[in-house]
Amino acid sequence: MTLIMVVDDDQDLAEMLGIVLNGAGFEVDLVNRGDEAMELFRAQSPDLVLLDVMLPGIDGIEVARRMRAESMVPIVMLTAKGDTHDVVLGLEAGADDYMVKPFEPSELVARIKVRLRRAPSDSTDSLQLGRVKIDQVAHTINRDGKIIPLTRLEFDLLVALAKEPGRVFTREALLSEVWGYQHATDTRLVNVHIQRLRAKIEFDPENPELIVTVRGIGYKAGQKGSHSE
Amino acid sequence: MNPISSRWRSSLAWRVTATTVLLSLSILVLVGSALFTNLERGIFNEKLINSLADADSSAQSVELQLAIAQYQSSIDIGKVLGDVLAVPVATGDGSGREVALFPTPGISKAGAAYEGTSNLLSPKSIPESFRKLIRAKKGNKWERLNIKYLGGHQERGIAVGNIITVPSVGKFEFYVLFSLAQQDQTLSLILRALWLTGIALVFLLSLITWLIIRQVISPVRDAAVVAEQLTAGDLDQRMNVKGENEIARLGYAFNEMAVVLKQQILRLENLSRLQQRFVSDVSHELRTPLTTVRMASEVIYAARANFDPSVQRSAELLLAQIDRFEGLLSDLLEVSRFDAEAAVLDIDQIDLTNLVKRTVDYLHPSRERILTIHAPHEPVFIDADSRRIERILRNLISNAIDHRADKPVDIHIAESESEAAVAVRDYGIGFNDRESKQLFERFWRADPARARVRGGSGLGLSIALEDAKLHQGLLEAWGSPARGANFVLTLPKRSGGFVASHPLPVIPAGESSTLSEMVDRTEN
Repeated sequence: MTLIMVVDDDQDLAEMLGIVLNGAGFEVDLVNRGDEAMELFRAQSPDLVLLDVMLPGIDGIEVARRMRAESMVPIVMLTAKGDTHDVVLGLEAGADDYMVKPFEPSELVARIKVRLRRAPSDSTDSLQLGRVKIDQVAHTINRDGKIIPLTRLEFDLLVALAKEPGRVFTREALLSEVWGYQHATDTRLVNVHIQRLRAKIEFDPENPELIVTVRGIGYKAGQKGSHSE
Repeated sequence: MNPISSRWRSSLAWRVTATTVLLSLSILVLVGSALFTNLERGIFNEKLINSLADADSSAQSVELQLAIAQYQSSIDIGKVLGDVLAVPVATGDGSGREVALFPTPGISKAGAAYEGTSNLLSPKSIPESFRKLIRAKKGNKWERLNIKYLGGHQERGIAVGNIITVPSVGKFEFYVLFSLAQQDQTLSLILRALWLTGIALVFLLSLITWLIIRQVISPVRDAAVVAEQLTAGDLDQRMNVKGENEIARLGYAFNEMAVVLKQQILRLENLSRLQQRFVSDVSHELRTPLTTVRMASEVIYAARANFDPSVQRSAELLLAQIDRFEGLLSDLLEVSRFDAEAAVLDIDQIDLTNLVKRTVDYLHPSRERILTIHAPHEPVFIDADSRRIERILRNLISNAIDHRADKPVDIHIAESESEAAVAVRDYGIGFNDRESKQLFERFWRADPARARVRGGSGLGLSIALEDAKLHQGLLEAWGSPARGANFVLTLPKRSGGFVASHPLPVIPAGESSTLSEMVDRTEN
């Protein structure tokens, strides 16, 4: 059974989240304090973490950073503030997605399912992007013989781009393909993850060559300077 | 711009000094030229008096010598006259002196031989007109002229004429010419001295003016520098004040003002910080229980089939009201963020046409029937916060759909050099003059009865206006009862730019502005 860890200081909300997630067929672990989260996280190895930003003990952003340092588990931040600052901090700390309170339970469940799904391997081929080899079966990234650990979301994002090298993806297209959003224009989500992905796979993240920004439109996989669209 | 005129405008010290120099220079020229003219006249008059006396005595002396010669027959008249011509007597002041002797008309041939001049004096030095006057003994017996020598040399001088009688020969014109070279030299010395004194005086005057004005101006200049630093946000800058004069009083007053300003600014900053904190706290404190309530009500709603009809309806109402409450809360938080000036732009390059299409798809997926987008073929790229622009568009388009009265809605997109615009036009109920004034006010509703049923916070347009202002853009509206409304959002394409022209008119083509009224221009 899929285990979801809920870290939220509001006990009623945590309990309610438990009811909703149980109803959707997930098993749930509840934690109310940030400083207690890591212990349980290590003991239980959950499949996904729902993490509130404001937590007693250690705040959610720091918890996300620590979890990410140890694991590639999907992390979804729960934030009461839609402010850019908090959202970007959470994403930079390693969160894959975020939900602004108050959210609809159905939307929460849908997001969780997207984050948990294994990218359907419509192809068993390994993809090659520059000197980076993407093994779609083993879900590994190999650059010059070195394995680079990626989160599931980063992997999905890279595969989405690498499957069609040269195609320009708008941020909206990526949001729909990788995050499962419809009608969303949250460019921060895409921008932060592209940056993180570049930091991991590019030789020079300041001058990316594998994931190239197409001004005013979005991103594409391919060589810098080529303008095939 | 001309450097002189720009300095004239920018530097008070320069202007005062330049004015002083110009005024003192003109006064010096006036006084100097008056002084010089007087001096010149005085020197000339003295020379003239001396010359007249000298010439008269010379004439008398010559006549006397001739008279004596007549009685001492051993002495020849020709020799006497020759002596007169050959040896010009040096006058007391040492200036040059020449003599000329001309026979009057009708003299004997032997007499004509006595004509002559001293040294190499040209006979043409003495003009015929003057000689005529002397012969007729009319007018002055002197004249200013140029003493010409046969070698071509000239100098200024005075000629004094007399008629002398040579016994047994007849009458001769006797001219004594006095050179003014000495006087000219003196005058040019005086002139040079005047010029030098004048220039030195003007220079010293301008220097003194410059120093004095600097003394007055430098505190003013300091004040300007400090004021600029204060404006730039360095609230701890103060003027350096010494003494107790008027300028020092200015400095003290200025510093006092800076202290009060700093206190006020800090107080306001503190208030704003408190306000932002409050907004953030309210946001967090309200949203967490709201999330719980929402989830609980959704669980109840999902299970409503098991309840009595009244409980079922209650579950539906509960959920609907939670939606409404949520919308109201997020709008209120947005408004207080604007009020606290805590709203910041998250700028990205976006295609406006694409954003409009997406918004339309979201609001009304089967748009072909109602909404028509008129856009240029090329994408319209702007630097903007897509979340905020989309919020404006959602508001304008959903308003148009709500008030269209079953008529179509046209959305126009256009761009100019540095602006892009979206116009949302409906042909529905429109609004009148009175309503147009309240359109962007908070919690104002076009039709209270209708709007209550529809929901909506009543903050939509005022938030849209704030979002537009945040982009340095304009949100303008035209409306006319039963003719519809036109809302135009005009944005600068580059962030930091401003709206200088309207790619789309606020008053639609074919509509007169007298029927309606333009409303709420944003002040940017």
